[in-house]
Amino acid sequence: MASFAEKLKCSVVGIAGLGGLGSNVAIALARAGVGKLIIADFDNVEQSNLNRQQYFTDQIGKPKVDCMIDNLQRINSRIDVAGHKVTLAPDNIPQIFRDADVIAECFDTAQAKQMIVETVLTKMSGVKIVSVSGLAGYGKSNEIKTKRVSPRLVLVGDGLTAIDNCKILTAARVGIAAMHQANAVIELLIDEIQP
Amino acid sequence: MGVLKINGKEKTFLDNKMPVTLMDLLTILGVDSATVVAELDGQIVERANFTTTPLRDGQSIELVRFVPGG
Repeated sequence: MASFAEKLKCSVVGIAGLGGLGSNVAIALARAGVGKLIIADFDNVEQSNLNRQQYFTDQIGKPKVDCMIDNLQRINSRIDVAGHKVTLAPDNIPQIFRDADVIAECFDTAQAKQMIVETVLTKMSGVKIVSVSGLAGYGKSNEIKTKRVSPRLVLVGDGLTAIDNCKILTAARVGIAAMHQANAVIELLIDEIQP
Repeated sequence: MGVLKINGKEKTFLDNKMPVTLMDLLTILGVDSATVVAELDGQIVERANFTTTPLRDGQSIELVRFVPGG
């Protein structure tokens, strides 16, 4: 029987989006000892990201994928990271994340969240996805929940608080959701994925 | 009369109000179909098929609604 650390070392996690959720999830999983991360994002680091995303001022203007690879390797030099600077869509998600045991949905728009969850559940049999809905605002820490929706879908969030109606994203509340998400990924890897 | 179990709660519809398709149900609930993943009796239904997926009395529907932010 593989130990906790051995299981994580053999695991592959896909991270779709490297913003407030994805940058925090990636760092938590790298520190935890997940063996391989597949990270994807189309965007560059902007000044406005730094209130909640895990980048640095000297990384502004550079691709998030490249910056996150650097940051992850400074934390854990043994981690294997595959980076894709790409816009994820139904036609490339199954290919990019084909080796993943679990995928973390870390997008910002509701439509993109819907798109990847539907794609993974219909086109990637056996792969589990941890998605997030409802993390805007501040306070109300305990309203962010982790819920098992179905055998391959875990949903994190309060289900309600959208950025478009409250206009605020905080490092703290986004971080709570991201750590729920990373913790759910680890739970799936340890308890449900065969090494 | 028809009954659908929606996210674990039973909802009763009069005969002439029973949604014919999954899209009809989303319209009745006021849910934007572009932000929903739907499972019908445990099977995922692709969004492209919402308008052609008929609903029957007694079915169980799980609707996962996404709001923006990340």
